[in-house]
Amino acid sequence: MIEILLLVHLILAILVLSIRSLFTAVILMAIFSLFSAVLFFVLHAPDVALTEAAVGAGVSTFLYIWIVKRTQKEVK
Amino acid sequence: MKKTNILDVVSRKLSPFILLFGVYLVTFGHISPGGGFQGGVALASGLLLILLAQGPDVLSRTFPLLKISIMELIGYGLFLIAGMGGFLLGSGFLAPLLPPPGTIFILNVVIGAKVGAGITLICWHLFQEEKE
Repeated sequence: MIEILLLVHLILAILVLSIRSLFTAVILMAIFSLFSAVLFFVLHAPDVALTEAAVGAGVSTFLYIWIVKRTQKEVK
Repeated sequence: MKKTNILDVVSRKLSPFILLFGVYLVTFGHISPGGGFQGGVALASGLLLILLAQGPDVLSRTFPLLKISIMELIGYGLFLIAGMGGFLLGSGFLAPLLPPPGTIFILNVVIGAKVGAGITLICWHLFQEEKE
């Protein structure tokens, strides 16, 4: 279970770094946070999982979307 | 960026449930996973959903900027007052004054309100700066 989750983390991280569109990268980052929350929950840390889900998938996505809207949309 | 109906409807229906979940996390923080910070962030993300999807005008109908600012300001004072309740017993800061759920519950509620107001304020000010 944990190995599969870590593999998903690795794939998502490589995708986030290599994708051209910044908006898609932000959304993939939110999915990465969601899988982190699942991983923390599997490792018996529900408190950390809640914080990760709320901060990683909620607030930091808001900030990143705001930043992408202010700056350029794609990597040159 | 073009807005669709999906964003409008989903944000309007989902936000009350996120707020309710935030209140649950804050009020049951002493017996189940969760607590002041987690519940506060959940509360803030419920408000931010409305702010991002429908704009600050819709949000300021129920939660004006001034109200959130005042909550954020007095939250810290309330936390200090609740913490200093321990001095009445002659023990230290944050010492339990009430029987077990009491002090933790009050501290959780105060921290939840302060964190929720604070994070909402940060993002609201960033959002307003964008419009200028």
